[in-house]
Amino acid sequence: MSSFIVGQYIPKESLIHRLDPRTKMMVVFLYVIIIFTAHSFLGYAVLACFACLSTALSLIPIKYITKGLKPVWWIIGITFILHLILTREGDVLFTVIGWPIHEGALIQAVEISMRFFLLILMTTILTLTTPPIAITDAVESLLKPFKKLKLPVHELALMMSISLRFIPTLMQEMDKISKAQASRGLDFRTGKLKDRMKAILPLLIPLFINAFRRAEDLAIAMEARGYQGGEGRSKFRELTYQTKDYLVFMFLIITIILFYLIEF
Amino acid sequence: MNSKFKTLDLTLGAVFVVLMMIGANIAFWFPAFKITYASGEVPITLQTLFAILAGLLLGKKLGSFSMLVYLAVGIAGVPVFAEMSAGATALISPTGGFLLSFIFVAFISGYIVEKASEPKVNTYLLATFVGLMTNYLIGTPLMYLSLNYIAEIAISMKAAVISMVPFFIKDFIITLAMAVVLPQFVTRLTKAIPTLASRT
Repeated sequence: MSSFIVGQYIPKESLIHRLDPRTKMMVVFLYVIIIFTAHSFLGYAVLACFACLSTALSLIPIKYITKGLKPVWWIIGITFILHLILTREGDVLFTVIGWPIHEGALIQAVEISMRFFLLILMTTILTLTTPPIAITDAVESLLKPFKKLKLPVHELALMMSISLRFIPTLMQEMDKISKAQASRGLDFRTGKLKDRMKAILPLLIPLFINAFRRAEDLAIAMEARGYQGGEGRSKFRELTYQTKDYLVFMFLIITIILFYLIEF
Repeated sequence: MNSKFKTLDLTLGAVFVVLMMIGANIAFWFPAFKITYASGEVPITLQTLFAILAGLLLGKKLGSFSMLVYLAVGIAGVPVFAEMSAGATALISPTGGFLLSFIFVAFISGYIVEKASEPKVNTYLLATFVGLMTNYLIGTPLMYLSLNYIAEIAISMKAAVISMVPFFIKDFIITLAMAVVLPQFVTRLTKAIPTLASRT
């Protein structure tokens, strides 16, 4: 359990790492929207080049990327197989154990699984190259316009960073509580499922009480230091756009134009 | 939405996000919380129960807001979702609708308990049951949409509903079993943390 690392961030000195987190989030957001309008092989090729270039520039070893993709391989696989056997368009290419595979089916299967793969690749690169705290800052900054709609943007970002800080603490606490209760004779490893479910309570009650006590302490500490909400609060980490961010935006726009020239 | 959260609201909501993470991955700490079937193992998650608890303990407004923060933390790449997964892909994948529904689950169960002047066992049972129904009533149609429009697999609504029935039965049993002990749980918590008592 101690080897567990919170977040997927891999520190490296690359162009992608040094970009403003807002730039990366906006690029990924636009990319995700655009990929749903792709309908041709060449269109997908352009988008795939963009994704491959970002992967290469991020200097992230391939093994971390495949690790990030691991939970979704089965979705890609099932999508591919279902499209391959269920679509009946175009000529029959070949038959597998008596089941005809159509040309249209192959094209569709490749395209849809390509879409999934690229979607996941781009979002994985974002989280591999950006620490969660930077994403939190970017969320606060990007959502600022929604403050006018009374959406508590500052509170959202603050709660995100507080919970990031508490994840390791409470995970350790959970470990301690389970050992403490086991030493008192609580048995949650053997017995019927019903008994094991009952054994959750002596774990959850101390965990909740402990967590809420910590929350109270933190609130008192914050107010003692003069926390009064988001109004007029200055920041320790300031986000600034630099030349490389503008260059990335330009490159994205060129890619989008190229993509639409090919698609239509 | 009124944007005035107190400082204590912010910290309580934030720790609840972490509690949600622990609830979603309880089988990660305790391999004993895995149901063994003939074909394999299904880890028990307490996600739905914790989302309901968020509504019960924090109230409808803060409870649903903390679920929103939970999703935001997950999208930011911290493995807080079930089976230690994270990222925006968790939301657009077929089961993403269930994650989104937690916001409404917390709101509705919080609403039911806030309406009742003196919460009894029946109130908790009702809140838990409605919360669980909300979870599936939002999650299943969104799964249908995700499969049809993102994966472009033509699946009928009926097939989507049928495929969720075993999961619903599993969650139903777990959640209602826990609902019976909820009053005891809530009293013991509010006794230990007096500030919570003034909220619910």
